[in-house]
Amino acid sequence: MKFVKFIISLLAAAGLTYALNRPLGAIPALGRLFSPFEGFWQNGESKLNLPPTDLQLDGVQDEVNVVFDDNRVPHVFAKNDHDAYFTQGYLMARDRLWQMEFYTLAASGRLSEVVGERALELDRYSRRMGMADAAKQVYENGKTNKIFDEVLNAYSAGVNAYIKQLKYKNLPVEYKIIGYQPEEWSPYKTILMMMNMRNVLNGGSDDFRMSNALSKYGMDVVKDLFPNYPSNESPIIPIGTKWNFTPVQVPAVPAQTTATLSTSETVAFSVPQHSPEIGSNNWAVGGEKSATGLPILANDPHLQLTLPSIWYQMQLCTPTMNVYGACLPGAPGVVIGFNKDVAWGVTNVGSDVMDFYQIKFKDNTKKEYWYNGAWKATSMRVEEFVVKGRPESLKDTVFSTHHGPIVYNSASDKNINQNVPVGHAMRWVALEKEGTDLMAFYYLNRAKNYDDYHKALTYYVAPAQNFVFASNQNDISISPNGKLPLKWKEQGKFIMDGSNPAHDWQSWIPVDQNPKVKNPARGFVSSANQFSTDPTYPYYLGWRFAPSERAIRINERLEKMHKATVDSLRMLQNDNFNVEARRILPVLMKILNADSTETNNPAYQTLAKWNMKNDANEVGATIFERWIKELRYIVFEDEFPMKDLKSPMTYPSRNRMWDMVVKEPTAKWFDDVSTKDKQETLQDVVKHSFKASIDSLTLKHGSMSPENWAWNKVKSTDINHLGRLSGFGRQDIPNGGGAGIVNATTELNGPSWRMVVQLDKDWPKAYGLYPGGQSGNPASPFYDNMIDKWAKGELNELLFMKSKEYKSSRISGTVKIIKK
Amino acid sequence: MTYIIILIVSAVAQYFLPWWVIAPIAFAICAWKSKTAFGAYAAAAGAISTLWVGYAFYLNLNNDGIMLHKIAGLFSENIKFLKILPETPTFFVIMAIIGSQVAGLSAMAGYHFRQFFK
Repeated sequence: MKFVKFIISLLAAAGLTYALNRPLGAIPALGRLFSPFEGFWQNGESKLNLPPTDLQLDGVQDEVNVVFDDNRVPHVFAKNDHDAYFTQGYLMARDRLWQMEFYTLAASGRLSEVVGERALELDRYSRRMGMADAAKQVYENGKTNKIFDEVLNAYSAGVNAYIKQLKYKNLPVEYKIIGYQPEEWSPYKTILMMMNMRNVLNGGSDDFRMSNALSKYGMDVVKDLFPNYPSNESPIIPIGTKWNFTPVQVPAVPAQTTATLSTSETVAFSVPQHSPEIGSNNWAVGGEKSATGLPILANDPHLQLTLPSIWYQMQLCTPTMNVYGACLPGAPGVVIGFNKDVAWGVTNVGSDVMDFYQIKFKDNTKKEYWYNGAWKATSMRVEEFVVKGRPESLKDTVFSTHHGPIVYNSASDKNINQNVPVGHAMRWVALEKEGTDLMAFYYLNRAKNYDDYHKALTYYVAPAQNFVFASNQNDISISPNGKLPLKWKEQGKFIMDGSNPAHDWQSWIPVDQNPKVKNPARGFVSSANQFSTDPTYPYYLGWRFAPSERAIRINERLEKMHKATVDSLRMLQNDNFNVEARRILPVLMKILNADSTETNNPAYQTLAKWNMKNDANEVGATIFERWIKELRYIVFEDEFPMKDLKSPMTYPSRNRMWDMVVKEPTAKWFDDVSTKDKQETLQDVVKHSFKASIDSLTLKHGSMSPENWAWNKVKSTDINHLGRLSGFGRQDIPNGGGAGIVNATTELNGPSWRMVVQLDKDWPKAYGLYPGGQSGNPASPFYDNMIDKWAKGELNELLFMKSKEYKSSRISGTVKIIKK
Repeated sequence: MTYIIILIVSAVAQYFLPWWVIAPIAFAICAWKSKTAFGAYAAAAGAISTLWVGYAFYLNLNNDGIMLHKIAGLFSENIKFLKILPETPTFFVIMAIIGSQVAGLSAMAGYHFRQFFK
């Protein structure tokens, strides 16, 4: 009996302890997580939580001083570059380790190792894209550049110095909740982190959607509805700028420009479409337009907003540089910033750098494919997936052609969107294995003048960016820059023929012939992801860039600006004026106006009184945004279905649609093809969409009132946690803006860093912030402390120190790092 | 007395060893000291509850409750009924139950172990 009692109580105790020490499905190991000695309680930070004043680290060569300011921004003062990058790695790991590693797991298709089955399809997609492989090669090729290799290794060593001393109780809380441990960092992982950025910014394609439209409607319709240059544009390089170079020979347009789609072929990829919200703004005004007589530069890159924040602020000071700005966790150097003499910023270039080729295999083994009149061998690799919660690993075979990887082999393959390309190879600039992007930032961080900027840009590959520049020598410049394929006109607008050598990417636009303008007559430079140039540029870059509204607004305001100050540029960053409403609302209202029953509608009256600003409290903005979305859907979803699984297409641009409304009101596209016996007119669809918008808004938000329908409430900007841990993000942030608005804040995307720098002969004045905080720790007061200010459109003055002796009341502590 | 010993020994041990060290500690000390099964359970469960709640209370106070609030948000998004309970007490109670049951059951096992060999 005693024995039975003992055994039962022992089993109960051991069983419970064991159960609480291991994760159960999605539930973490509760014992360890709740223990105050090890679990989440240990992640609670108080106040600034600075490292101890003296830190002994194995890896620094000399003494390093890190000054922290009241926003917890580290200002690193090192006696050599190695120590600066080492310290940068150490501090970023301290604040953002989980985030850094998460990006690398995503890019290399290894998320399912830590989160299990639910990330498997995403991982398969990433592996097929081949980013991990490319990252390895980029580092192998890049390390022949000694500086590149040294910077990456110093940074890695710093990250690892932090990881090495970590105990379970100090792990970022996400590791505890999800239940895994950080791995060692390496230069390869930094490149993977950059791959993630290439994927976010360049990883979209419309090729298959366009091919589907082409095979259904023919070339004339496609040319009409999907033109290569919009009717309404304000390109980055001002119209009339001379191209002062002799263009190289552009490959001739082949007789056959697209692959022929067989009728049985399903063309649908899992590749996302271009996302215009993932755009950005930047501009610089020259001295003659500014109050100080020297340039002022502004930049706000728009990305999907997350916590921990995408950016990390830092100042790095060594004998070769003194630079401040926004850095990417996982990468050394400053990506967007300024130093004593210059400032620079970036926005994405929407050029077409991801193309697809139809591949004809010899047989099902996929070992050979038809190319240039002969069978050519594919290469094959087997990807292995270790999935959390699965006893054995999974395998996936990926074939590659000389174009690039076959993203999915057969229609039966499962993939993230059930959009399956059959035998299509992908050519993607992100997989370019040459080049050392980070060196562009290395040299920009040290740039003293325009020539240094010009030289720095030549190192940059992808994702192509509009690099804006200003110096205290009163130079301003902008250049859509990166490695850009030299294409024949419309090359890659549709799926191409993988057997035809004329369809290959044959060469690159010479880097010194990338579009560029210096000190234009109009006195400012700007970009908002619109077309890089007008059609006079001798090379074809792509047919679809971000809609031009933001660019038009920025340029018209800068045009009128005199004696510009930091504040006038800050206010432009927060401009909520709706250019699209100015263009089309009067036209649409006139159509509604024809019917008196509509004009009595309170929604109509609100719109009629609306100031055309997407301010937070405007009801007009809510109705207008919903209405044009509804209208576009009603006009085009019947003919160009975006959501069709078998043969998805894309809608003609909004610009093209407004041209149609104004100039071709009887176009057949206004008819709803699903109603056989009825011919819908423009008037019908305008009215119908207006009513549908009011109905759906009422259904979702209640009856119309300034509270229920306020734009910020309906738009509801959320900044979610990067790992989708609920409760770790911030929801319903009160602000205005929208997709085509300069203040491009949408449901999930928005200005991820806002910066304004006023150049000066002596010392620049700079302002900036991002929607989050320096710490990646959800329990830190510095996790999301900048969000409220960001939502209001305010900026922080950035503390740019001349030396470590610099006195400021904003300094909250100094940490000395010495050799162990 | 058993209560005090468990409290002190496990406080020190948990600084260096994983959280589950409370189980063997409760087992060993109660095998040595306890007179009744219930006494063993009560001493160990009480000691660990006191220790965990006390230490977590201190950490939570220092952090203005931010971490607890986030964790509570995470759990209550997934287990909805938690939303209707008062946040801070609920999570202290969950923690206390976890710690006290592991320690209490181990203590009883320790007591019965002793009885078996007596």
